[in-house]
Amino acid sequence: MPVDQRRINGPEVTIPYNIYFDSNAKQTETRKTLPKKRTDGRDSTELRKIFVKTGIVSQAKGSAYIEMGKTKVVCSVFDPREIPNKTGYSLQGELFCEFKFSPFSCLKRKIHQQDSEEKEYSIILQRALESAVCRHEFPNFQVDVYALVLDNGGSSLAAAIMASSLALSDASVPMFGLVTAVTAGIYQDRFYLDLTEEEEVICSKAPDESTSSRNYGIVIQANLPQHGQISEFFHVGSMDLANMKPTVEAITTACKELCPVMQQCLVKSVLKALKRKENMEKEDQ
Amino acid sequence: MRRNLPRSKYQKGIIHPIKYLRDYLERDIRPDGRQFLRVRPMSVNVRSITQADSSSIFKIGNTTVVCGIKAELAEPKVETPDCGYIIPNVELPPLCSPKFRPGPPSDQAQISSKIVETVFLNSGVLDPRNLCISKNKLVWVLYCDLICIDYDGSVMDACVGALMAALKTLTLPEVEHNPDTGAIIVHPSKRLSVPLKGAPVCTTFALFEDQLLIPDPTEEEESLALARLSLVIDGEELCGVYKAGGIPISQEVLMKSLSQSKKRAELVRKLIDTAISST
Amino acid sequence: MEGTEIVEDEGILRPMKCELNHLTMPDGSAMFMQGDTAVVAGIYGPVEARVQKMMYDKASIEVVYTPIKGPPCVDDRMREQIIKETCEAALIATLHPGTAICINVQELQDSGGLLACTVNAACLALINSGLSMKFMIGAVNCMIEKDSQKLILDPDTTQIQEAKATFTFIFDSSKKDLVSCQTTGRFTEKEFLYSFDKCKEASQCVFQFFRSIVTKYATRI
Repeated sequence: MPVDQRRINGPEVTIPYNIYFDSNAKQTETRKTLPKKRTDGRDSTELRKIFVKTGIVSQAKGSAYIEMGKTKVVCSVFDPREIPNKTGYSLQGELFCEFKFSPFSCLKRKIHQQDSEEKEYSIILQRALESAVCRHEFPNFQVDVYALVLDNGGSSLAAAIMASSLALSDASVPMFGLVTAVTAGIYQDRFYLDLTEEEEVICSKAPDESTSSRNYGIVIQANLPQHGQISEFFHVGSMDLANMKPTVEAITTACKELCPVMQQCLVKSVLKALKRKENMEKEDQ
Repeated sequence: MRRNLPRSKYQKGIIHPIKYLRDYLERDIRPDGRQFLRVRPMSVNVRSITQADSSSIFKIGNTTVVCGIKAELAEPKVETPDCGYIIPNVELPPLCSPKFRPGPPSDQAQISSKIVETVFLNSGVLDPRNLCISKNKLVWVLYCDLICIDYDGSVMDACVGALMAALKTLTLPEVEHNPDTGAIIVHPSKRLSVPLKGAPVCTTFALFEDQLLIPDPTEEEESLALARLSLVIDGEELCGVYKAGGIPISQEVLMKSLSQSKKRAELVRKLIDTAISST
Repeated sequence: MEGTEIVEDEGILRPMKCELNHLTMPDGSAMFMQGDTAVVAGIYGPVEARVQKMMYDKASIEVVYTPIKGPPCVDDRMREQIIKETCEAALIATLHPGTAICINVQELQDSGGLLACTVNAACLALINSGLSMKFMIGAVNCMIEKDSQKLILDPDTTQIQEAKATFTFIFDSSKKDLVSCQTTGRFTEKEFLYSFDKCKEASQCVFQFFRSIVTKYATRI
């Protein structure tokens, strides 16, 4: 690989230390299948505790921070600008989305450039948000959306989608509604919502030949819960068609549950802004 | 007079920013309501990122920098067989300010990385020999990534602060290395902290007309300043004085900035220590 | 370390040599040598600016520093920034709005005090180019020796090996105030201020040299 002259570089080959973990230690046992009971004690369709906050990046037009369990994502949105290198007129405005894991956010260190996974996630993020934004309101302009994962504890993309939708509304970009997203994982006959990183790893590998059920996979679905519509559906793995319906239903219910949390957060920020305005008017008098 | 305006939403799009700032400064106050020599409130948070070996979040006013350290193993350089590596990189992603665009690191990010590296090396906080596991064979590589989340001036101060807080909380697992077979065994349960000495603290100043010196400038002040000056203090000693161009400054101003940054250094050091002991 | 007397070495800079108009194409050029450290600087300007870098109220200043080998890296970016900001302080950029002034610097040999040498070369090239300047800029490098605590002005590579701290100060020629400053190593406030004073004195030699060069070449035109 060519050396990046724009950064301070380390030695050419470095090895993460966790591959040399003492095999006798108890900690290192890795599960092959999803456990009957989830390690954090949740129900199979129970979501993790969620914390959202808007307006955390002062320089951005709108921004949001989301915490789901260990997962932490920051997202910011900027003023519309003319689409660069564009010839001709585009009737609909564009969303430019960039999804990035910070180098220290995953078990294995990420490189500074976007890798193929992050590029794919950027596109999913764009598709999930595009249908919720009134793009006809800003023809020939693009709105930049940047999502940065600070800590990956699983379901980062779903968290990024929700943070981005909050950031877009914080930036007063005209929207049809909020977007919520939930990740589901299937492994053999088990089915979990809002996966942790450990569960994600298990669900993305096919079970052994010998096992009865060879179902496995991860589903990320983004909804517009206020309209009962689905804006993005992304699936990896392989599973029986019969499994699909209950999965979609479970996710849709979960997405609906998330909506009030985000609405509350937005109401809070509006109230805060109103209060600030009031105070200012008082000071002016 | 209107003070303490939330900057982001109301002050953007001022028609004549230079005059706007000058009007404030003439009335002996800064646009955010601060006195000339006051610094913004700071806060530090450590160990909040679970996937990193150590992490910290350093805030100065709105400015936020996240530092995460990932440790990996590598062979040492031939010329320094008993020295580990410390690779600090500052990232100014487009997320933190509309000034930056996606793509390779901007000149500013590169210069910030270099300054952080120089400050780190000059201060001698961490002896790279302490990162040696087995001479000539195996050493630690500490990838220290500093990501700016909110770019609102004095980013270098936040970067240095975040790096120091993260290094102070860094623990590395015990490693057994057999020099003959090359076998490596890591004991994840036995983690040891790395010995550090001192803690450099960086203070940025902005200079305006008539040699007016203000510490801890916001992005708005920084971009309109006639010159910028950064001082790095560690205890009784200095380990970096960095000024690139701008209006020339006299020795009196330099002395003033020195005494100001000493006060600030004490403040930041205490802040980091309390943040670490309280978690 | 505290309280030890700082012993002064005989405050002489290494011999400086300079050749102006060394390059034919640029609007101003200088080859500058300080001891064995040698640098060539060439200036183009004011020329048409690139659209992205154009500033409507003043000239944009671009600096390209080329190291002796390999592609430019992060270290060189820092050098570029110091040269750029320093020259920007000296030049009256508002005289040429909407244009660009390109400063190209090529390292030829580094035996200590490279940054100081580069800045001095850039200043001479700027003088040679005839662009209007507020003042001249002169850079002086110095170090404090580890064992003897001695201050050595303009050290060479072998002396730098023994340094506990090095300083590069850049002064203006009118008020003799500090334009830019870069340091390495740890040092006390006293050491810093002492070096500052000594370098300020020594900067007179640099400015004197600049003047002598200008006089020398002025008669030839």
